[in-house]
Amino acid sequence: MSKGTFINVCRFGLLLVLLAIWEWGWDLRKHVSWIVPTLLDPYFISKPSLIWTRFLEMGCFANTRGDWLINIDGTFMKCVYAGKGSLWTHTLATLKNTFWGFLVGVGSGIGVGMLLGRSEMLAKIFEPYIVAFNSLPRVALVPLIIIMFGLGDVSKIVTALTLVFFVVFFNTFEGTRGVDRDHINAARFLGANAWQVTWTIYVPSALAWVFASLTPAVSFALIGVIVGEFIGSERGLGKVIIEAEATLQTADMMVALFVLMVIGVVLVLGVREVQRRLLRWQRHHAETF
Amino acid sequence: MAPVNDMDMLAHRPAAAQPAAAASVRQRIEVRDITKVFPLHGEDLVAVEKVSFSIREGEFVALLGPSGCGKSTILNMIAGLITITGGAAYLDGRSVAYGKVDPQVGYVFQRDTVFPWRTVRRNIGYGLELSRLAKAEREARVLEVIRQAGLKGFEDAYPLALSGGMRQRVALMRTLIMQPQILLMDEPFGALDTHTKLEMHKFLLEIWEHERQTVLFVTHDLSEALTLSDRIILLSARPGRLKEDFEVPFPRPRDAIRLRESREYSELFAKVWHSLGDEFAKTKAE
Ligand SMILES: Nc1ncnc2c1ncn2[C@@H]1O[C@H](COP(=O)(O)OP(=O)(O)O)[C@@H](O)[C@H]1O
Ligand SMILES: [Mg+2]
Repeated sequence: MSKGTFINVCRFGLLLVLLAIWEWGWDLRKHVSWIVPTLLDPYFISKPSLIWTRFLEMGCFANTRGDWLINIDGTFMKCVYAGKGSLWTHTLATLKNTFWGFLVGVGSGIGVGMLLGRSEMLAKIFEPYIVAFNSLPRVALVPLIIIMFGLGDVSKIVTALTLVFFVVFFNTFEGTRGVDRDHINAARFLGANAWQVTWTIYVPSALAWVFASLTPAVSFALIGVIVGEFIGSERGLGKVIIEAEATLQTADMMVALFVLMVIGVVLVLGVREVQRRLLRWQRHHAETF
Repeated sequence: MAPVNDMDMLAHRPAAAQPAAAASVRQRIEVRDITKVFPLHGEDLVAVEKVSFSIREGEFVALLGPSGCGKSTILNMIAGLITITGGAAYLDGRSVAYGKVDPQVGYVFQRDTVFPWRTVRRNIGYGLELSRLAKAEREARVLEVIRQAGLKGFEDAYPLALSGGMRQRVALMRTLIMQPQILLMDEPFGALDTHTKLEMHKFLLEIWEHERQTVLFVTHDLSEALTLSDRIILLSARPGRLKEDFEVPFPRPRDAIRLRESREYSELFAKVWHSLGDEFAKTKAE
């Protein structure tokens, strides 16, 4: 067995052990109560089998009697859009707001970062404001944001944006300031005008820095949206979690948490892939090419 | 490639006569009483003091002097990269303005300035890409230059995968493909080992003897100056002042290796070395 296979076998084994403890651990309490902590109570953490059943129901794959809905004409779609919404509509809402928060936050972060990175004067003028605003815990702003933008999608996008903007801004700013002066001069001697210097020198040189901020930016966008949904919203996975808390439905909560986990992993992997393609010239990316 | 010339013939031939500096000869680069003072910790550091010289059309001039004597400073003033404290610099009779880049000037930097995010092909094609040259023609010219530079097979490699010598060839070709009439070079081979340096001398001579651009080549390496140039301008230790002006009359085309074995070379080497040695001694004494 190669080292890689061994690692994978161990990982999978660990998963099985954890799932088994989660599923049957509480039952052991009848026999060896002293070894089982209270936290294993399904009241707190539910059970994999229960979570799976709730996942199928919330996702409109099956009804409460366990009948498979996918096979029955039209029922799946009807369920997806029914009542207060299914797992699908909530997930979609969270994804959509995360996407826009990320996009606008990254765009404005790069724009402002490049602008201030190139102008010593502007950087000096804005510095105290940026530092002050960034020191404010963003979560504390969410109620204000909701008053300003309502319970709809916009307030979630704005919350995500305020988090994403600063990470991207600081990195772009540093990256732009660190551009090699000789690269700029070389470009000018080869005929580049100011605009061309921006596009062909500043942007690619700062790109590595910008990308370093995108992985945390994705996570921040998701955090911003979920926190916004906690505090006041009509739909979204954050709303599912808060409702599950109110009704003590830990299984529902776990379903939402797992969906969030999958979303987080997929988004981060996506960003890494784009990064790997665009930064091929860097040695450590070139090697894994 | 030009035939390898026979150095033995040198002994029987008078030094190639330089054209008389008639008024009709175009002065492509000229500096007059050029001075540079850097403010340093509240004090003034005089880096260059009242240096004057001029370079004719098609002349290859080496600016030689010990490290820190102000060679790069002079070059950068001519290029418009830094301000001029006193005196003036002229390109084709027009006074140089700080911050303005002359499109007919090519500049090869002391440091490695190849763009690491572009492949060899796209580094060399950079200037042509900016000038919006039709893609087909651009590609054709780039490939021709890549072949000439012996970089075939590395077209799509990124600079990080190249050796120092290859990177400097990319930097050189990236400039030369734009066909600048005036070339300013700041110790372009300073970071290379002796062997690679010699290869680069051969390479540059081959190109220059064909194209005959006007060149100002900064170096602290006497053999490099003797191998490449028509004339050596020797600067004193800091503050850089003009010390002496030597003609380098070796015939062209030159063979970078065999030239060094000739008696004329050794004689001129000794002569310049004597003068240069004084300056090195001054740098050390500081
Ligand atoms: N930007 C600067 N500020 C202060 N001093 C400088 C600056 N650039 C160069 N110098 C000083 O000017 C002198 C000449 O520098 P330089 O032209 O780079 O020398 P060279 O190229 O001959 O080695 C050196 O003593 C150096 O320390
Ligand atoms: Mg120098």
